[in-house]
Amino acid sequence: MKPTAFEYHRPDTLERALSLLAQFGDDGRPIAGGQSLVPMMNLRLARPLHLVDINGLALCDIDQQDNVVRIGALVRHETHLRDPLIARHFPALVEGVRAIGHPTIRRNGTLGGSLAHCDPTAELPLLCMLHDGAIVVASSNGERRIAATDFFEGAYMTALEAGEMIVAAELPVPGGAHAGAFEEMAERKGDFAIAAAGVVLGHENGRITGAKVACSGAAQAPMRARPVEQALNGADLASPGAAAVIAGFLETMDPPGDHAASAPYRRALIGELIDRAMTKACRRALEAS
Amino acid sequence: MITITLEVNDVSRRVQVEPRRLLADVLREQFGLSGVHIGCAQGACGCCTVHVEGTPRLSCLTFAVQCDGKAIKTIESVGGSKAEHMLQTAFRTEHGLQCGYCTPGFIMTLMPFVEQMTGERRMPDEAEIREAMSGNICRCTGYHGIVAAVRKAIADSLEDTERP
Ligand SMILES: Cc1cc2nc3c(=O)[nH]c(=O)nc-3n(C[C@H](O)[C@H](O)[C@H](O)COP(=O)(O)OP(=O)(O)OC[C@H]3O[C@@H](n4cnc5c(N)ncnc54)[C@H](O)[C@@H]3O)c2cc1C
Repeated sequence: MKPTAFEYHRPDTLERALSLLAQFGDDGRPIAGGQSLVPMMNLRLARPLHLVDINGLALCDIDQQDNVVRIGALVRHETHLRDPLIARHFPALVEGVRAIGHPTIRRNGTLGGSLAHCDPTAELPLLCMLHDGAIVVASSNGERRIAATDFFEGAYMTALEAGEMIVAAELPVPGGAHAGAFEEMAERKGDFAIAAAGVVLGHENGRITGAKVACSGAAQAPMRARPVEQALNGADLASPGAAAVIAGFLETMDPPGDHAASAPYRRALIGELIDRAMTKACRRALEAS
Repeated sequence: MITITLEVNDVSRRVQVEPRRLLADVLREQFGLSGVHIGCAQGACGCCTVHVEGTPRLSCLTFAVQCDGKAIKTIESVGGSKAEHMLQTAFRTEHGLQCGYCTPGFIMTLMPFVEQMTGERRMPDEAEIREAMSGNICRCTGYHGIVAAVRKAIADSLEDTERP
């Protein structure tokens, strides 16, 4: 018997789930796909006294309201790959989600679970940050929206407070023509990445009108590469030429060195992945126009 | 203890479980289904894959209480006592197994893939087959024989469904 003992609750409404979470505070935890929580419980790294199973809640929809796509917390990774709204507005997200784990993991793991777990190189936190996303969080006191750039605070650390749970992520729909790409490096395909990069380019008449660039692997949480974004704005899709700015951006990083990759290797890798994602996004933009 | 009802391989049964009992352990110990193998208990090896409501799921990352009222299939439901499902036969002829520890997990993971490809009437390329089995680890036979077995199972069932 691997995990420590706990009490199991399966609420069928959000209100009930939130009142249970409020009641248990730090002793309670939601369980969604279980793909990160149960390994931790089996290793006894997590020992919740109460598990609140949220799989019965109606948080599985992806829909658009005005200029925002709202993705429910219980949307399984795999569902992102088949959804027409996501395909149309967030191609980099589709490419990123394809890199998560393996088919069985993608069928069962959820968006909310990945965002709350907040592994430093998990794809979905990076992708939410890349798309200027907001995380919608609920508790028995009501709802609040937290910008993705503020939500992910460090390795396995988020802005979630006891009694709160994620109900959705909201991504603003890009205006005009856009292209995106995602690149990562893992030791084996499907493993957690050593580093990753995503790029979204708005474009018009062969020029970049607005660039978003995000990367992981440099710090305990993903980050936006603002200087690279600024350098790309107005650049020619056929030769964006941001090499010097990317090199400068890498100098500002202080990535960790570990058994998987030394700090200099990691820095070089992030530069290479940003460059590859940027080049791919530019090519896609040119092909589409 | 909580009383739950599991429909395992088409038979419904009520069992008493502690919430912390993993589905893998309950299937092995309370249902006597020793074909559910436990490898890593962290989701990394795929050995314990079963179907919950028709979808592959790692039974070491699932609490049995979460499956109350659900239909579960294990390797014991596949191919009869002689293991004659097309994919099992192909594993045998293509040298897809040696010690057999990982085999139930591979079969349960790959069955829906073989069915999907047969439904789409196409032979996947090597990369697609390897992606489909990427969540399962084999530590003795190696993967070439398993890839060949998947290809053979799909070829056989395509041929089978072509016959008038
Ligand atoms: C072999 C393997 C390989 C993997 N590879 C990758 C990979 O390459 N990239 C990657 O990103 N992930 C990977 N994962 C993790 C996978 O994506 C998980 O599905 C995901 O991290 C967590 O989602 P879940 O729904 O399973 O969450 P759970 O495991 O159920 O929960 C994870 C944590 O989030 C909390 N939680 C869950 N839902 C909510 C919510 N709505 N609100 C607040 N808190 C919540 C839980 O309390 C827990 O702390 C891998 C997992 C395995 C087993």
